[in-house]
Amino acid sequence: MTWPRLVRGELRKLTTTKLPWGFLAVLILFAGIDAAVVVWGTDMDGSKTFISTAEDQQSLMAFAFNAMLGTGLFGAIAVAREYGHNTVVPMFLTSPKRSRAVLAQLTAVLLGGAVLGLVGQALIISGVALALPSTAYGFLVSAGNVTQLLAASTLAGATGAVLGAGLGAAIRNLGGAATAVVLALFMLPPLAVQLFNDAASWIPPTLGGVISGVSTEVTLWAAIAALLAYGLVPAAIGLLAVQRRDVV
Amino acid sequence: MYSLQIENLTKRYRHDVVVDDLSFTVQPGRVTGFLGPNGAGKSTTMKILLDLASASRGRATFGPTRYRDLDDPTRTVGVVLEPNAFHPGRSGRNHLRILADGAGIDPARIEQVLEMAGIAYAADRRVGAYSLGMRQRLGIAAALLGDPPVLVLDEPGNGLDPQGIRWLRDLLRARAAAGGLVFVSSHLLAEVEHLADEVVVISHGRLVATGSLSTLRKAGVSVHTPEPRPLTRILTDAGAAVHAAPGGRLVVRGLPIAEIGDRACAAGIALHELAPEAGSLEELFLDWTDADKPAGAPAAAAKAPNEPQTEVVPL
Repeated sequence: MTWPRLVRGELRKLTTTKLPWGFLAVLILFAGIDAAVVVWGTDMDGSKTFISTAEDQQSLMAFAFNAMLGTGLFGAIAVAREYGHNTVVPMFLTSPKRSRAVLAQLTAVLLGGAVLGLVGQALIISGVALALPSTAYGFLVSAGNVTQLLAASTLAGATGAVLGAGLGAAIRNLGGAATAVVLALFMLPPLAVQLFNDAASWIPPTLGGVISGVSTEVTLWAAIAALLAYGLVPAAIGLLAVQRRDVV
Repeated sequence: MYSLQIENLTKRYRHDVVVDDLSFTVQPGRVTGFLGPNGAGKSTTMKILLDLASASRGRATFGPTRYRDLDDPTRTVGVVLEPNAFHPGRSGRNHLRILADGAGIDPARIEQVLEMAGIAYAADRRVGAYSLGMRQRLGIAAALLGDPPVLVLDEPGNGLDPQGIRWLRDLLRARAAAGGLVFVSSHLLAEVEHLADEVVVISHGRLVATGSLSTLRKAGVSVHTPEPRPLTRILTDAGAAVHAAPGGRLVVRGLPIAEIGDRACAAGIALHELAPEAGSLEELFLDWTDADKPAGAPAAAAKAPNEPQTEVVPL
């Protein structure tokens, strides 16, 4: 039963530094900003129609893409710092079969990303729900759609974390890995859309909207499959890179 | 009991040969020092042994088994490699907890090794606030976590104060006395002299001497001659290391005492003294690793002039 032990060790790594607390602080900030938008924000005409329907409120609260971007950075930092601090040495000494060690690390980061995505979405929903009574509108989103938002951000958070972890393992440098995450999720997709119009349906912001139920560009299952690919491809690259490289 | 076997090990980085056809064996029950100048290939050899780096050729194994194929590596081999392989924001105790989690070691063992390493008082402090010596002690505590019969330690004495050095020496000698294998690299020659039973010396990635330290230390010959220059040339050409010593003597290493006498006689050079001379490890090390010599030159051979060759591997 080596692998569960390794996952437990990797989870302890994540929870014994300030990294998750830093990301939690950012999530609370996001939730506060959303709540402030509800309280003080208006449309161009001074009205609050942007929160007047259930769809509008669901769209405002949809956090999946932001969760993916944020946990992408989380995963990249969690893995790349292992190389920066050389803690990868005791990791591979404990588990010299590197694929096991890296899969355990990816699993732990996936779980961490999922929790961050879920908590982030829950905080945003709570912030908006608490802010709405200060307006003329109530909380209109159904329980089913709230559940979809939570599930979407959890999935996007997990996927983003695996994407970041894969890039972190492949690149190893903290700054380089974080930059690669921003490029992969934030900079390159718009460029791809410029080159290929059809790509607009498959970029992470669109896919995040689809799984959150606020967009119908592609089917839900196609969006889930595409999001998983965004995570799995960098993870596979990272896994292969770690197998082949010397730890120096 | 495990032995450690390095067989024809070679490591190339592009055109640089860092480890060059290295072969030696380390036996349990002894402390074996692994010596060499900076860049000699010691750390690379250890990394290949521990499957952190791949060999271009050859094998490095524990008994017949590669590190990656050991059933329970943490309980078999304790390792100190990188002095700063810690997250600075994590406590020492949590660092050990992570290792114990991964290896399935009873958490009670963490307290034992913290006490053993003398850092229990600082276990809950961030490692970033540790001194180099404390980090080194934490690294040694981590190596002992699985109570392994084999210890592979790269410069474990770095940063330790005199009490720490004494503690480490006692610890390693006790492990060896209990039948464990202790393989320790160090550039602190005086410390190795106190600690090691055997040494393996490499230079430019190649083995230059290996054997019992007590035998190797006797592998010098004191020569007194009225013609030191021609004798020096003859002996140097034969592959010996020759140094001027106080009193007009020469100290010759790398040739048996009889061969020195024979060569002097053949050249018609009178000898007024020809006697075994023990050298310090530092003198020996400098002879073996003389940068001007080609790697692995026979001058580095550590032949005992007046003892059987069984404990020394002449090269």
